[in-house]
Amino acid sequence: MTIRADTAVLGAGVNGMSTAYELCRRGRSVVLVDKVVMGAGASGSCDDMILLQSKKPGILLEMAFRSLELFRDLQGELPCDIEFDTRGGTILIETPEELAVMEDFVARQNKYGLAVEIVDARRLRELQPHVTDRVIASTYSARDSQVNPMLLMKGFFLGASAKGLTFLRRSRPESLTPRNGRWEIKLSTGETLETGTVVNATGAWANEISGLLGLRFPIAPRKGQVLVTEQLPPLGETNVWSAQYIVSKLRPAGTSAPGAASWMSGPEEARTAAGYGLGFAFTGTHSGNYLIGSTRENAGYDKATDPEALGLLARQVIHYFPVMKDVHFIRTFAGLRPSTPDGMPVIGEVPGFPGFFMAAGHEGDGIALSPITGRVAADLVEGRKPEFSLESFRPERFLEGQGDLDEAASG
Amino acid sequence: MDRDENYICRCEEVTEDEIRTAIRGGARSVKEIKRWTRSGMGICQGRTCRRLVERILAEELGLAPGEVESSSFRPPVRPVSLDSMDGSRDPSTHGSGG
Repeated sequence: MTIRADTAVLGAGVNGMSTAYELCRRGRSVVLVDKVVMGAGASGSCDDMILLQSKKPGILLEMAFRSLELFRDLQGELPCDIEFDTRGGTILIETPEELAVMEDFVARQNKYGLAVEIVDARRLRELQPHVTDRVIASTYSARDSQVNPMLLMKGFFLGASAKGLTFLRRSRPESLTPRNGRWEIKLSTGETLETGTVVNATGAWANEISGLLGLRFPIAPRKGQVLVTEQLPPLGETNVWSAQYIVSKLRPAGTSAPGAASWMSGPEEARTAAGYGLGFAFTGTHSGNYLIGSTRENAGYDKATDPEALGLLARQVIHYFPVMKDVHFIRTFAGLRPSTPDGMPVIGEVPGFPGFFMAAGHEGDGIALSPITGRVAADLVEGRKPEFSLESFRPERFLEGQGDLDEAASG
Repeated sequence: MDRDENYICRCEEVTEDEIRTAIRGGARSVKEIKRWTRSGMGICQGRTCRRLVERILAEELGLAPGEVESSSFRPPVRPVSLDSMDGSRDPSTHGSGG
């Protein structure tokens, strides 16, 4: 059977669904395709935070600001509650060295218009009464927010479905062929799609699609392991990370890892933690379950959780919040975040393949940036000028000297 | 029993009605139903409701129960205290304390 539509969106994660929703909202016919089901990749295996503080000052922070506005609109506009909430966020600082780094980071963010400040231990304890005495200060931004990714995807899906979305699950694209100015996509189910445009929003799996055109992007899976606790009464007001997490996220590849944290047994454990890309991210969901993360690993497509990493996560949270000692965890999961070498997503039309667009590679910013990604991707599909310059996200930055890039993608 | 009073997932208090509504709204896999309704996301991690949800899904879609793809199993098998995950000890030898 052949299904004709204006646009095929590949990948039913949060960015594919946001793009599909936005296109449907604008009156275009869309077929959304996923080789598994909705949210089977990173979007269904992540936490609920919309972090502004973790964004590098620049285009990503600007887009996060815009996304936050759009989330507020979506909360009323989508057919279901998405549990959007602005509880603020705190980054725990334990040493004078971290304090110096974070003061500088906060100053740069302030210049960029993000309201964030350094608060002392006393003020932090008002926000987080259970935090360890070892924490000497914290950042605080009232703007950091949360959304339930599962309900966000549900909302995008129901909203798009009401406008005529066709969704094909368990359908893997097997070929992608330009034909008479349109695209023909053959699916593993035997169905054929014929569309004017194609959006590749398959996250860490983006090369399975791009590869059908002989293209390879250095988008590689980064595994993040997370613990889910039993439901608890609220422990504090804000989302919490450690300064170490931010340092880990901002540290350029190849530079030396930080020293042992105070809770680690010594340099050996510090090396193990660094190998896992360990950071601290701690957030309470609407249902009362706390999510304790996370690692940032190069582990291919393996989504297993392992006791060593979970042990580090458990010890780390007990260090920061001793009250967690007797709390039980009920589940563990791992998600594969689509990372790129420069920390920027790949959004744009691919030169030489008119009508084929990339919208992938958001790593840990996928949920936070999904509303704006859907908007700009829809603009590109419609041939309109997007509201942001997408210069930093151009696919062609990774397409020069393809031979060299193969290594980066698998590394 | 009315379907709006028939609790499929006791931990998260999800009724049969809510499961069927999700399926009719477009959640056509156990994973999707779970994410839309929280069925199976509670303290028992779907021990009771997993099979029931599969059965309802099979019924709604006209499939044999065996044709329904199950959602994934993840550790731990039962709730485990964070303290027992001390990295310097072998976690498999420690109880949950609960």
